[in-house]
Amino acid sequence: MEDLKAYIETGILELYVLGDITPDEKHQVEAMALKHPEVKAELDEIELSMERYAKENAVEPSENLRGRILGSLLTNFGDDSNFTAAPLHTEADTYEDEEQQDNKIVAMPARKEGNFYKYAFAASLALLIASAVAIFNLNNKLQDSNTQLLSLQQSKQQFANQVNLMDKELTVFRDTSYKLIRLKGTPKNETSALTLAFSPGKKKVVLDIANMKMAENDKAHQYQLWALVGGKPVDLGVFDSVSDSTVSIKEMKSIASADAFAVTLEPRGGSVNPTLDQMVVLGKY
Amino acid sequence: MSKKRKISLSEDELVLALRNHEKVAVEALYDMYSSSLFGVISRIVIDTAIAEDILQETFVKIWHSFSSYSTDKGRLFTWMVNIARNLAIDKIRSKDFKNQNKNQEIENNVTSIDEQRNTVYKPELMGVKDLVQTLKSDQKSIIDLVYFKGYTHVEAAEELGIPLGTIKTRLRMGIQELRKHFN
Repeated sequence: MEDLKAYIETGILELYVLGDITPDEKHQVEAMALKHPEVKAELDEIELSMERYAKENAVEPSENLRGRILGSLLTNFGDDSNFTAAPLHTEADTYEDEEQQDNKIVAMPARKEGNFYKYAFAASLALLIASAVAIFNLNNKLQDSNTQLLSLQQSKQQFANQVNLMDKELTVFRDTSYKLIRLKGTPKNETSALTLAFSPGKKKVVLDIANMKMAENDKAHQYQLWALVGGKPVDLGVFDSVSDSTVSIKEMKSIASADAFAVTLEPRGGSVNPTLDQMVVLGKY
Repeated sequence: MSKKRKISLSEDELVLALRNHEKVAVEALYDMYSSSLFGVISRIVIDTAIAEDILQETFVKIWHSFSSYSTDKGRLFTWMVNIARNLAIDKIRSKDFKNQNKNQEIENNVTSIDEQRNTVYKPELMGVKDLVQTLKSDQKSIIDLVYFKGYTHVEAAEELGIPLGTIKTRLRMGIQELRKHFN
């Protein structure tokens, strides 16, 4: 008797009811229950109380589950084809019809737990990043190309300008009506020299800027070209002597005839009459 | 709330009818036990759709293996609820279930389910709810962990940080409290 009580006290019967024991223990409990009515009675008590505890915590499954589950058991009856939906209920027939409709067995949609969207998202993201990098690179290249194009255009313009100038120079040299006159430095400015081309027929005077040897003038002064006609100086315009000049020839004011040409250093803009002691070069026609 | 009447038989009648493969027995079985079983299943498996699938599997298994049940092994419900619990526990421990459900906090589930659903109150059990709630919380939590959460008593001991012997004692004491109130 004492042994049985101790056995019951271990709590193994509770674990048996909860299904939380090994198969060996299970057989042992079942054997004990068969042998000893006290154990069997104790087991019954435990089972009943757990059953009532479950009932107390019951959750009503949804109404249409009844039809679904009974329907799936129904296949075991073979030809016995129909369950009444709610066999003993007393409501009107229409209700019953409704019930039967409710009880139709509907195939549950398969649960698809795919990783598809995860992968699709990752792929899209990767594609986006790749595209962004590609666009960035292309944009850089485009900008490089634009810069190159711009510098090419500029150098092309430069060449065109140069060709134009050279054309003009060439026409001056080819034109037989032009006479070259070398203006030489005055005693004060012996190193200075300037060449000009004069065409009385076309009334044109052209300075060879590229090859002139003149001291650079400051900002307050400019060189002024004069033609001496019958002993009187005639203004032919002003020019600068700048070392980095891109201009190679310069056309001056027109004149039909001249006895000689001279250049004086005058205040910027030129003077009406030449300052004779500032004469730099002089040459006779 | 106009509930339809349900088929109800005594346990002996039911077992006999089930042995004879009577159609009415299956309906009676469902009407008598589905809500109790579903209460247990849906506390272990929180997702309603999955819990419903398990309830269906449970009844199919009960029906198929009914020949292995004998009355001298114990009450019918004990046998059935263990089938239900095993199916539910297998489900939550299966790999695909773990992948699709994050584990939830243990404490929340039992009460949250009561709040979410219409728990059935039976007149004959009036007052029991209150009495159960007056159970010492450590006894109740062990019963609930094992009965409604699918823990083995070994796991419950680890979870609560209590020695195995104490778990067994509290489990027994808790169930004895229940017995007192039901008798």
